[in-house]
Amino acid sequence: MNRLIILLVFCVICFIPKSWAQETKRAEERISGLFPGLSFPRFAQQIESQTSYKFYFSQEDVADLIVNISAKDNTIRQVLDGVFDGKDLKYSIDDKNRIFITKGKALETSLPLDFFTQVSELEKDSILRQSDINRAFSRNKLYVIGKADNSGKTEAVLRGKVTGLETGNPVFGAVIFEKVNYTRAIANQDGQFEIKLPIGRHTIFIQNLGGFVEQRQISLQGDGVLDVAIEENIISLSEVTISSEKMTNISRPEMGVQKLNMETMRQIPAILGEVDIIRSILTLPGVQTVGEASVGFNVRGGAADQNLILFNHATIYNPSHLFGLFSAFNPDLVESVDLYKAGIPVQYGGRLSSVLDVHAKYGNDEKITVRGGIGLLTSRISVEGPVGEKTTFALGARSTYSDWLLDILEENTDFKDGRANFYDLNLNVSHKLNDKNIIRLNTYGSNDSFGFDRDTTFMYQNRSINLGWTHYFSDRLEGEFVAGRDHYQFDIEGRDNPSNSYDFGFGIKQDFFKANFSYEYDLRHTFTFGLNTIRYRLNPGFIEPAGPESIVIPEEVNPEQALETSIYIGDNFEVTDEFSINFGMRYAVYNYLGPNTVREYKPGLPISPPNLVGETTFNNGQTIKTYSGPEFRISARYSLNNISSIKAGYNTNRQFIHLLTNNAAIAPTDIWKLSDPNIRPQWGDQVSIGYYRNIKVDKYEFSVEAYHRNMKNLIDFRSGASLILNNAIEQSVLRTDGRAYGAEFLLRKNTGKLNGWISYTYSRSLLRTAQDEMAEKINGGEWYPNNFDQPHNAVLVGNYALSKRFSTSINANYSTGRPITLPVAKFNYGGSERVYFSNRNAYRIPDYFRIDFSINIEGNHKVKKLAHSSWSIGVYNLLGRRNPYSVYFTPVNGILQGYQLSIFAEPIPFITYNFRI
Amino acid sequence: MKRKLNHTIKSLALALLFLSGCRDPFEPEVTDQDISLLVVEGFIETGGEGSEIILSRTNPIRSNQNFLPESGASVFLKSENGEEWVFQEAQAGVYTVSASFDQGLKYQLGINLRNGQQYLSEPMTPIVTPEIEELGYLRDEAGVEIFVSTKGNEEAQYFLWDYEEDWIFRPGVRSQFFFNPATKDVEFRKADQKIDLCWKSNLFPKIILQNASRFQDNTILQRELVRIPLESEKLMQRYSINVRQRAINQETYDFWEILRKNSDDIGGIFSPLPSLIRGNMKSLDPNGNNVIGMVSMGKSTSKRIYIDVEDVAPWPYFIQEYEFCKLDQDTVLVADYEREFASGSRLPVIPVVVVTTTIGFRAATRQCTDCTLRGTNIKPDFWED
Repeated sequence: MNRLIILLVFCVICFIPKSWAQETKRAEERISGLFPGLSFPRFAQQIESQTSYKFYFSQEDVADLIVNISAKDNTIRQVLDGVFDGKDLKYSIDDKNRIFITKGKALETSLPLDFFTQVSELEKDSILRQSDINRAFSRNKLYVIGKADNSGKTEAVLRGKVTGLETGNPVFGAVIFEKVNYTRAIANQDGQFEIKLPIGRHTIFIQNLGGFVEQRQISLQGDGVLDVAIEENIISLSEVTISSEKMTNISRPEMGVQKLNMETMRQIPAILGEVDIIRSILTLPGVQTVGEASVGFNVRGGAADQNLILFNHATIYNPSHLFGLFSAFNPDLVESVDLYKAGIPVQYGGRLSSVLDVHAKYGNDEKITVRGGIGLLTSRISVEGPVGEKTTFALGARSTYSDWLLDILEENTDFKDGRANFYDLNLNVSHKLNDKNIIRLNTYGSNDSFGFDRDTTFMYQNRSINLGWTHYFSDRLEGEFVAGRDHYQFDIEGRDNPSNSYDFGFGIKQDFFKANFSYEYDLRHTFTFGLNTIRYRLNPGFIEPAGPESIVIPEEVNPEQALETSIYIGDNFEVTDEFSINFGMRYAVYNYLGPNTVREYKPGLPISPPNLVGETTFNNGQTIKTYSGPEFRISARYSLNNISSIKAGYNTNRQFIHLLTNNAAIAPTDIWKLSDPNIRPQWGDQVSIGYYRNIKVDKYEFSVEAYHRNMKNLIDFRSGASLILNNAIEQSVLRTDGRAYGAEFLLRKNTGKLNGWISYTYSRSLLRTAQDEMAEKINGGEWYPNNFDQPHNAVLVGNYALSKRFSTSINANYSTGRPITLPVAKFNYGGSERVYFSNRNAYRIPDYFRIDFSINIEGNHKVKKLAHSSWSIGVYNLLGRRNPYSVYFTPVNGILQGYQLSIFAEPIPFITYNFRI
Repeated sequence: MKRKLNHTIKSLALALLFLSGCRDPFEPEVTDQDISLLVVEGFIETGGEGSEIILSRTNPIRSNQNFLPESGASVFLKSENGEEWVFQEAQAGVYTVSASFDQGLKYQLGINLRNGQQYLSEPMTPIVTPEIEELGYLRDEAGVEIFVSTKGNEEAQYFLWDYEEDWIFRPGVRSQFFFNPATKDVEFRKADQKIDLCWKSNLFPKIILQNASRFQDNTILQRELVRIPLESEKLMQRYSINVRQRAINQETYDFWEILRKNSDDIGGIFSPLPSLIRGNMKSLDPNGNNVIGMVSMGKSTSKRIYIDVEDVAPWPYFIQEYEFCKLDQDTVLVADYEREFASGSRLPVIPVVVVTTTIGFRAATRQCTDCTLRGTNIKPDFWED
């Protein structure tokens, strides 16, 4: 029956002439009568008998429907609206008074207007988006109205027409006003208005009664016309905010920028139930890691120490807890995260690969809110809110009770005395002195302490404090001044026995000052300029006896000091609506300062003891060596149309501080080293190009970016290098060139019950011992893959909202196994079997694949209750795949045995309870 | 201390694994291609004791072959004033020479292979090794630690020790008898036929390295060489260790250190990346193959000590092979000797005597009685009782 009707309808539609399909406005028949408790077919019969209407419907669809309605001179539409109220049934009436009842979606009885104009999908998309875009665009775009004449007139008349955005019908009664003098006008029946305003710039607000406020920036120079399309329905503000943000993907000039807000991060299944910033950014294209338990991440083939990690201006040297199991940011304190993979804004510098800017909260200004979470291993709590009228704060703490985990390892006697503790604390305060001045205080501290036997304790700490002052000099000029101190240190306490008890330590302290200015010169130019300076104080390592009985000889590597200063200026120049360019330059000066003793080597010969010429000792504050140079940041965007754009960029960076790590992963005990006369600063550049496209009115977002990077003066290590307590590190390193290239594809669905993204990255990262490095040539001076060179990487992040309260998330991650150096031959030497290794990184460990799954359950939505709560339940590594972290050989009783080593080899379930009061 | 720190960091890595990780046996798909590099090992003694140069080839990683000697090469040493000594191939791949060399000269080792490839070492300066000041041992709750003390000097700052361990062990069941197939009777073993006391030596000694320059006066005090764990058979009767001490230069020290690191420390989370093995042998052909090997020269010094079970008593011991050894309950009667003993799988142990006549023997398996199955009953030449 159903199918028959559709077929019938289809035939009818196909054969009726076009003019018939047009809406006809003829007097509608009126219906009166009482229809009490009738089945729908009976009701239809009665209507059919009264009027010329004919009903077409499926018996199945209306089986449960009972009609209970009384009508008096009502139109058929009013009656049917009443009948179907709250039901999933739709009706449509064609011009022959046939009524089609369908389930879910109303039947189209007329052809779409553009049915015969053959609009392609792309154009349609473009047209649909046009309205969306125009709206966001036009809100901030400056409309120049009229022509300036020299008549000396001070006022001009602005005329225009207000139409509905969707219907195109004139909007009667729309109010047009500007807020300075409260001049207003009201649109007439045809939507036309006329308003007299002084010559000059204005913000015009257009409001439909009870509707949304639209705005226009105008520069009124003479009499002129401005037509405005406005939304007729009431829409919520937030929806608009989202759509304007979506637009930035195609319209912002910078490229290689990824923004993640907490909402997105919350949906990614997290290990052990905690929203984790570092793990979240690992799902983005171009961001990789060498292994699951590693502190760092690699961006576009760059080493982990080439990422500048900022937490409200504070540089975080170790962004993790427990060797990378957790990231060191309390998720409740984080507002959003920006990751710059290319197009690094000119105000950032000092690292080669990326900037991870984590924005923390300063608290809302409405009411005190308490948030918290209780998980299997960690708990966290935070309080935020206003203090008085002008001050807000956010305070957070997080801690672990993972000792029990180590306790269950008790059977393994080696670790029965194991313990692991960490905590982190945040306090951010914002105080508004007046409209022009805001003061912000940021403090952060994290502490890790762990040991796996009674004798040895590892500890590391981040401590940061900074004070910022934002001042609005004028509407156009804004300045921000920040001064602060960051501190990172690690210690190892060895208490094996009283005679060899020791304390080993490393520390880095930096004092910094930043002055950043932003100046809106006009609507086409926005300048940013400023000054950054950092004073480094490094304690590269010391060991000292602990306790009176210890015979350990104290040893200390000379402390290091340096000053890094840079000035920068940049311009965001909107050349035309289609083309904009963001360019800037940064000039960095680095001074390596005394007191210190530096060694000189014969030039052109390997830096090794036989070529040592002499040593020079410098006094406190004396400049030992100065490096300086410019950095360029250029990126440009060209909009092809409303829904797609291309971008290209070029940037260079310099880095004066290096992490010395002879491992594949960053260890919590790796040390940093400042550039000195023998270790040059790292330099890198990047060329990138990208194409961005939004599909189906921003429902999908697609982007592809390709890049190529060159790096110089990277550090690799000579055979047998020892980095601990080494005063002459330059004798253990090899100057190395780097090269990285790749392409990143990202398809993202932003809206709907099912959302998420798929990304695929092809990337290579290669190293080569510098041509003029004489000490040793790794792989004979040829290019070799970096430790984190993983050519193929694919990530799927999917969220499905089953209901408002219940959602599921899945995260799948695939990547090529990382390179490894494997033994290729064996031989006998010194009475034991030994191995001969292949060329550096000639092989790969097996590919990596992992799926995580989580379910989020929100508490009920009652307005009055103690706390909003939610549960997060899930499994990390759902398949329990034993992803090898490493593969190696070791002689067991003189016979070589191969092993693979995996971390998180089993599915790890987790559950976390989160609340908000 | 550095070593200690490194070890500490390693244990951290290990610990992490136990959190939730695991270690599985794995055979990566490493190429089976045989790169067959030349391996040169040797130390040339300047004091005339006789020196060995061992030439071999590397094996593919999965090959079952252990040692692939390189035979038929001509090996020679030449001094800086032109004198030349030729080594003789004593056994496959082992080339020896006995001569005294002037300590004050520099020398180069040359190797010409059968395939025509030629190798020459970098010039070597002999180093005279200071005497071992003390080779001692310490009994503690974890067993016995054997240590060495020595004092280096400006020339001799890096030390390398290797050692040979020998010890007496006894089988699970001691028998003085054997079945003589000729007489078809059980006879008493003569001295050279004894199987109840054997010597065993350690097959996989470790190389121990130490840099003395880190210590005051280049003094190395009680450097641990060997640890004998509790219940080890090594100390069930008498144990001997001979330690050879060699002073080496820094390059040689680095070479051994890399060998050690590459073999012991690889594959952990925080393990260093494998290092290139370098050496002081170079191919004369600039496009020639790599060669693995560090040859050095000098005068070594050795010291031997003995430890008796009385010195460390009480010393309970345990030998896994002998765990279930015991004397059979049944007696093998005289008439059954041939049937029971001819195959050699069981051996007569204790005569069963009725009044004055031996009516038979109680026996035990050969695995439990014949110590030559896992050692030798020939007393080593050096052995002192």
